[in-house]
Amino acid sequence: MARLPSPPCLAQIQAAGTCSEQAVALRALRDEIIGHVQRKEEYVQHGILDVLVEILQSSTRSPKRSSGKEPSHAGQRPVLAEDEVVRLLALQLLAGFANGGSAFLAPLQAADVIPAILPATSPNDNPPQVVLAALRLLSSMTASARVAQDAEKTTSHLADVLFSARSLEALRAILSQDSPDLGIQEQKRLVTGLITRLCKTTKDQNALAESGVLDALATLLASFAVARGEVIPGAEALGRADGLVDFIPRPAPPGADLASVLGALSSIIVHSRYRSYLLLQSPSILAVFPWAEFTPPAPETRAAWIALEMHGLRPIRPRGPGAVDFLLPAIPLPPPKPRPGEFPPLVTSPSREALAANSSLSSFRFTGVEQSRGEADDEEDSEEPESPLIPWLIHLIRTTDDLERVMAASLLASLFKAGFTSPDRDQYLALLVVPVLCRLLSENDKEVPAPVQRAATVDPETALRWTIMEQAPEVLARFVGENGTLQKAAAECGVIKLAAKLLKDSYAPHPVQLPPKLWSANPERSNGEIKELPASRQLGLPGRVPAYSHKIQMRESALKLVAAMATLNHAYRDALVEADVAAYVVESLAPCPGRPKSSKDTPATEKGAGADKDQPPYGLNPTSVIIAACHATRTLARGPSIVRTTLQDHGFAMPVYQLLKHPDPDVQVAASSAVINLVSNVSPMAKTLVDAGIIQTLCEHAHSLNPGLRLNALWALKHLVADLDNHHRKKCLEELEPGWLVQLISDDRLEEEARARARAERRCTDADEDEDMESEGAYDGDNDWQRDWTWPGLGIAGPGGVVSPRLQLASAKLATLRDAEVNPARRARNDSLAIQEQGLGFIRNFLLLPSHGQPPSPSELHDMVDYLFTEIGQDRLFAILADKLKVRVVNAFGRRSTASGSARGRDANNGNASSTTLVLYPQARIVESLTYILVHIAASVPRHRQLVVAQTDLLKLLGAHLGSKDPGVRRALCQLFTNLTWVEDNGDTQPCAQRASELKRLGFLAKLEGMEQGDADLGVRERARAAIDQMKKPMLKDAQW
Amino acid sequence: MSTALGPLEIPGLDNASTLQEIVWAHIRQRFDRMNSSTSTAIPPHHHGFEKRVADVKAPKSDINALILDYLTMEGYPKAAAKFCKEANLQPQQLDSSIQARQSIMHSIHSGDIETAISALNELDPELLDTNPELHFALLRLQLVELIRQCHGRDPTPAVEFATKNLGPRAAAHREFLPDLEQTMALIIFPHDKLRPELAALLSSDLRRNTAAKVNEAVLVRQNQRREAAIRQLVRMRAWAETSARSDKLDLPETLDFGLHAEGAESRHDGGHEPMITT
Repeated sequence: MARLPSPPCLAQIQAAGTCSEQAVALRALRDEIIGHVQRKEEYVQHGILDVLVEILQSSTRSPKRSSGKEPSHAGQRPVLAEDEVVRLLALQLLAGFANGGSAFLAPLQAADVIPAILPATSPNDNPPQVVLAALRLLSSMTASARVAQDAEKTTSHLADVLFSARSLEALRAILSQDSPDLGIQEQKRLVTGLITRLCKTTKDQNALAESGVLDALATLLASFAVARGEVIPGAEALGRADGLVDFIPRPAPPGADLASVLGALSSIIVHSRYRSYLLLQSPSILAVFPWAEFTPPAPETRAAWIALEMHGLRPIRPRGPGAVDFLLPAIPLPPPKPRPGEFPPLVTSPSREALAANSSLSSFRFTGVEQSRGEADDEEDSEEPESPLIPWLIHLIRTTDDLERVMAASLLASLFKAGFTSPDRDQYLALLVVPVLCRLLSENDKEVPAPVQRAATVDPETALRWTIMEQAPEVLARFVGENGTLQKAAAECGVIKLAAKLLKDSYAPHPVQLPPKLWSANPERSNGEIKELPASRQLGLPGRVPAYSHKIQMRESALKLVAAMATLNHAYRDALVEADVAAYVVESLAPCPGRPKSSKDTPATEKGAGADKDQPPYGLNPTSVIIAACHATRTLARGPSIVRTTLQDHGFAMPVYQLLKHPDPDVQVAASSAVINLVSNVSPMAKTLVDAGIIQTLCEHAHSLNPGLRLNALWALKHLVADLDNHHRKKCLEELEPGWLVQLISDDRLEEEARARARAERRCTDADEDEDMESEGAYDGDNDWQRDWTWPGLGIAGPGGVVSPRLQLASAKLATLRDAEVNPARRARNDSLAIQEQGLGFIRNFLLLPSHGQPPSPSELHDMVDYLFTEIGQDRLFAILADKLKVRVVNAFGRRSTASGSARGRDANNGNASSTTLVLYPQARIVESLTYILVHIAASVPRHRQLVVAQTDLLKLLGAHLGSKDPGVRRALCQLFTNLTWVEDNGDTQPCAQRASELKRLGFLAKLEGMEQGDADLGVRERARAAIDQMKKPMLKDAQW
Repeated sequence: MSTALGPLEIPGLDNASTLQEIVWAHIRQRFDRMNSSTSTAIPPHHHGFEKRVADVKAPKSDINALILDYLTMEGYPKAAAKFCKEANLQPQQLDSSIQARQSIMHSIHSGDIETAISALNELDPELLDTNPELHFALLRLQLVELIRQCHGRDPTPAVEFATKNLGPRAAAHREFLPDLEQTMALIIFPHDKLRPELAALLSSDLRRNTAAKVNEAVLVRQNQRREAAIRQLVRMRAWAETSARSDKLDLPETLDFGLHAEGAESRHDGGHEPMITT
């Protein structure tokens, strides 16, 4: 009946004169299509989507009535007006089409469904049923997008629209509704679900954080604490003093979903100190979890703590435990670590290669930022106690189940990584959280039965289990990455084996990727006459089966876990390699992976069963998997022996090299970060890569507008150049263009220009995609920081109308954190500093003669130094180096014009040192690299030594760094003096004496003598002694007289 | 198989104890089927265990909440409303939502699947879209009803319906195929001489089971439990008894549920108090 050319329902809908007639027709259509994919396809081809969108748009334009909007608590739902019934039905029908699968996404988007439904999401203008239907539709589309073949593109498109300024307000309003009604609860659940699934980019995360959605979610989280009866005792009294008492929410109603609230919060604050702090300082969180020391009424509660403290198993802290701490078991803590200055470190810190194994997009971290962050942490710990939210989250993990556990752990991991946990917490996490996550993983790791592998839908239990399996490794990875204590705990829980198993399982060949086609009684209709239809009537590509998406997601999660476990400890890296991880990592680097070749494998027996083009047996790796594989490669390559053997054997070089040319810049950044470790001088792969032409590629990337890519490329070149012969080195410098290198290391103005350019470009593309948004003056990632944003917490006044000190303090800190993350000038400066460091390092290695082969001869070095001087310009080079050593004052909030040139060279005491100016001291790493450049120049012929000594200003500036905190800098300087006073031959004696006396005149000898006596670092003392010996050599004295 | 239980009829009685008596009797009847091993009357033999049982006093409010939960979840809106009023409880769900569920179940019980599907779509338009198994079960029931209607006459409507609605699904989901084949066999064979597995399709059990599935699915979608709490308690009790016996713990030979109307004296002897008066 329904297979007539124009189905009767459609005609009825279009012909309907009144709303009620239309409603009847829509209902009939709904009964006809729901659950019937084939009929949905047919209706789409008949243009139903345009009709529905039109209904929505025309009813939106009608004036809104305010009656009947309040959901009554008494029990009777308000009766909908007729036109609203029509809208509701239209939304439900669209959701029905969205449920049909990914094939319907393309026509839905072509029909401009999303702009039409966004107005319906605002709870102030619409009855709750309509809002719910609109949210369900969005949620269905998101779910379909997840399994779509171009999942990444579709998802980001949805995110762009949903997180625009206008709809953010609607989201906030939905989350702030205070009603136990089940429909409202479902609205909230859908919104939190949408945020969890769609909020991926920094831009969206900041938008959500600053539009009040984060605060609304924080209030929901606090309401769960209230419902569980876990508000800090005395919170009300404390809140009265601050004016926060009104922010203690009502208890969460029984139907509320904790896991989705935790998940949404976690996806907003992840990878950001600023947003994490925003959560901690959210008024409701402050109100429910104020920090207060707590003495439990029953003394035996404290007994375990006291016992541990008495026996030295737990250091006694000046601050007692808070109330929530007593919900956790008392656990022994290791004695506090000695401060780094007190004893020389036994191992060299790997922080130079520091890398957030899981940072979502780019892997590069700036050493400069890292350092200042460390210092900031120390300050904070003394001034601000840890929020009781942290122990409460641990408590949640211990007392909830399944997904709530994972999501609570995910939120905790974000706060932990942002450094808002007290140092003692490492042990808590190692003992109380990591094992829980590991057990969750192994409990839920079950074989997928064959019918489920093929099914187009999965039952809720399986879906839940899959979500846990996909999330838990990622959360675990965030915990253990770069943290020795937690890595040890995880390794003891068997995570290494588990990670390897998960990765292997994700490479089990998948029989079917697309859901089966439905059988049809008259098949000849399926492929006819649809070529000429407009886009809103044409079905898109079918989606993958959920089991396949799950498998790919598991691949990514497992790779992240592998990368995180390989960050620090050599033993764990070896264990991972032992578990045969490398074969799977190298396949994950390829967009279309082949069969992983295990080292123990016999030659393949089964020959690519069903290896047709559409359905490769191992699936296709999306960029997220490739990026995760790059990170895993990078961390595995931290072990030199692994680079030399395993990675070489599995042929990592070429796949990574291919990725350097990947069209996606994020992949390029990740690949270049992996290259850094692959081309270090221990690597046999360097030669292969050079032969393949990696130098050209890297030099190209060093000219990129993307600062991350530029940094990594320069870094890789720095490693690479150390291992080349002189001829290739010169070619490399030529390729990089000396002028460009000078620009990179000389100034940060250029950086800002580049940024401005990039921004302009981005604006162009943005405008193309969505003109509407741009003209509304909505969100632009780089511009928004200037927007007048004040923290709403400042509006909260205590009893006397005064903002309480703790809120003022929090506001100041928020401003600093926000500036550090959101201010583009600040970010550009950090980028620039990191790039300068690598640029100087490049020159340093350029002059470093290869240690293998024949002993270095001054003549070779002489040649290189001269080449460098001619290419860069001798005076220019020295001027740049001197410039690097100067203290600089910049306007922290300044725009481009004031940030660079004009402020430079101004004295720190001079000028109006308002709170917005920032004093920048030269960074130890930069000083070290720079000194070594001079060391190498001074190792050349006497003429070059003479040149260096002649740079009196430069030497004076360097002298100031003899007192540097960093032993590496001091060592380098001692080496420099040794080299400068080296006597080449008899002819050099006289000039050398002059050099020595010049150095003495500048007061270096006395300083060196002091260092020889009193320096904390053995290496510094030794080198100072060598330098002094050289300067005091009798023949120099003779020559002097 | 016991006889089908019709919807619970509550006459307009004002007496609270009468209402509860009726509800209680209904529950007894239901759970009789679930636990037939305990249907024998207990000899008046006093065991240590029974003494302990007698010492446990369940608070009335808990029992009342349990009854209300049962009425709400199983879909008896009027009884639930009355019970709420008399026991002075807050209703668990909106009256309308229980009613909608009940009317859907009623449609299924009476074989009007089309109405049931339409009402389901009205109540929760996503349910059938996201739960193909349930949709298939409903459509198959609809097919059975069609076959029943055109039995002895032209079976074309039934065949057509199957071709359009059930065929495509069964081809894509192997697990649906046997069910469909079995159902189609009904068209061929005379209904009075069917093999037992085919005869089962025509019995009211199929309707009842499908209705129960629908009820469960709707409840799960509303983020609630899938069944009344008392069902879980009964199962837990059965599990506890089994594990206690397998561990050879000291128990009376038979444990009565205390639900039997006919064992009036056991109620008093066992110390149970199924008659809760407010």
